[in-house]
Amino acid sequence: MTHEDYKELLAAKALSALDAADARALNTHLEGCADCQSEMVELADTATLLAFQAEPLEPSTSLRERILASVRNEVRAEFRSDRVSPEVSQRDGNLLAFERPPRNIWSSLGSFGALAATFAFIALIIALAILWQKNRTTQSELARLKAEMKQTQAQLDYEHAMAELLTSPDGHMAKLAGTNVAPGAHAMLAYDKSGHAMLMAKGLPSAPEGMAYQLWYIKDNKKMPGKVFTPDAAGMGTLEDQIPAVARDAAVFAITLEPKGGVKVPTGSIYLLSSS
Amino acid sequence: MGLQLESAEGSDVELLHAVAGGDEAALARLYDAYRVILFGLLVRILNSREEAEDILQDVFIQVWRRAKDYDEKRGRPFTWLVTLARSRAIDRLRQLGARQRLATGAAQEHTETVSDALTDTIRVAQRETVRQALAELPEEQRNTLVLAYFEGLTQSEIAAKLNAPLGTIKTRMRSGLIKLRALLGKQLENFG
Repeated sequence: MTHEDYKELLAAKALSALDAADARALNTHLEGCADCQSEMVELADTATLLAFQAEPLEPSTSLRERILASVRNEVRAEFRSDRVSPEVSQRDGNLLAFERPPRNIWSSLGSFGALAATFAFIALIIALAILWQKNRTTQSELARLKAEMKQTQAQLDYEHAMAELLTSPDGHMAKLAGTNVAPGAHAMLAYDKSGHAMLMAKGLPSAPEGMAYQLWYIKDNKKMPGKVFTPDAAGMGTLEDQIPAVARDAAVFAITLEPKGGVKVPTGSIYLLSSS
Repeated sequence: MGLQLESAEGSDVELLHAVAGGDEAALARLYDAYRVILFGLLVRILNSREEAEDILQDVFIQVWRRAKDYDEKRGRPFTWLVTLARSRAIDRLRQLGARQRLATGAAQEHTETVSDALTDTIRVAQRETVRQALAELPEEQRNTLVLAYFEGLTQSEIAAKLNAPLGTIKTRMRSGLIKLRALLGKQLENFG
C-alpha cells in the first residue's frame, strides 16, 4: 500500500470502523508517519463530535458517589498493600517466629464454629442497624429529592428556553466574566433582535441582606438599568429582561451589587462584565 | 457566535494531570463536566440506562487508573474521554449481541434530559451546531457515519447491512468525515 492508500483509511480508523487486516496495516504505518498521525488526530477530534448527536442525559445522582467510593477503595487497598509489605519484610528479616504447637483438628473446627457464629451475630446486628437507619432517613431523603426534582425541572425549563433563544436565527450570546471582586463568577446572556434577554450566572457570592445583583446595559458610556436578581445558595442566578432598543447592538453588559429594589444609576461594585 | 465550553481544554489537561497524581476532587470535576454528554452517548449506543451507567462507572475508574497514560499530543482530553467511553460501549454492545440493537428507543422513554445550567446550555448550542453540520452532509454519507459511530459497525458490516459495495462505503465514510471537519472548521477548537 502507498502512503495515499493509508491516508484513505484514516477516517475509518477515527470511527473505529476498519476491518481487522486494514487496522493492523494502518497501525504499523502510523508508527512511522508524522503526516498521517497529524491527520489522524484531526479526524479523531471530528469523529468525537458525533457524540453531540446523542441526546445529552443525566445519569442517576448516586453514580457519582459510587465512582468516587470505588476510587477511594482502590486508594485504601493500595495504601494497605504499601503498609503491609515493610512490616512483613521487617518481621521476616528481624524476628524469629514462635513455633506454634500442632492443633487438634476438632478443636480448630470448634473455635472456627464459634468465630463464625460471632461474625454472623455481629453481621445481623449491623444489618438491623442499617435497616433501621435507612428507614429513618428514607422519608427525609424523599422530601429532599422531591424538592430537588422541582428545582431541577424549573432549571431545565429555563435552560431549554435559553437554548431556544440562543439558537434562534437572530439569537446572540454575550459572555460575562467575573471581575476581581468575584473572580470565580461567570455568566451568559442570550438575547434576540426583539430585545428578549435571558441571563444565567454562576459562581456569584451570596448577596448580603437587603442587597441584590442588578443587570446593566451600557452603550456609549450610558448605563441603562436592567432587572435585579438574587442568586441561590450555589451562587447561580437567572433573570429574564427586555434590553432597551438603543442597547441591542454592540452594548456592554455588566452586573453590580445594589440595594434590593434596584437603582437607576449604578452605585455598587461590578461583579460581572462582558467584553465590548 | 463562539461556542466555548465552560470547562476549557487547558484546564481539562490540568485536571487529568491532577487525577494522575491521585487527586480525587479533580476526577469529580471531570465527571461533573462530562457525565451528561458521555451518558447520553452511552445510552444512545446501548439503549439501556442501566448498561450505560455500568460503562460510565467503568470509564471513570479507568480514567482514575490511566490518567497518567494520557498524552495531550495525541488528542484533546474530550477526545480521549469520548473515545474511551465509546470503545467500552461498543465492546459491551458486541457482547450483548443484536438483541440490544433491536431495542431502539426503549431507553429513551425513561430518560430525563439534562440540567446543569450554563455548561449544558452551551452544549445544547454545540449539539445544534453539530446537527446542522451533519444535516448538510448527503444522506448516504451521514448514515454511514452514524452506523459506524453509534452501532460500532465496521465498513464491511455497513456494506452488508446497506447492501452496497465495500468501496462505496469506504468513499462515503472518508468523504463524510472530511466534509464534517470542513463544515465545523474553526469551531472545532471550541469544543472541549
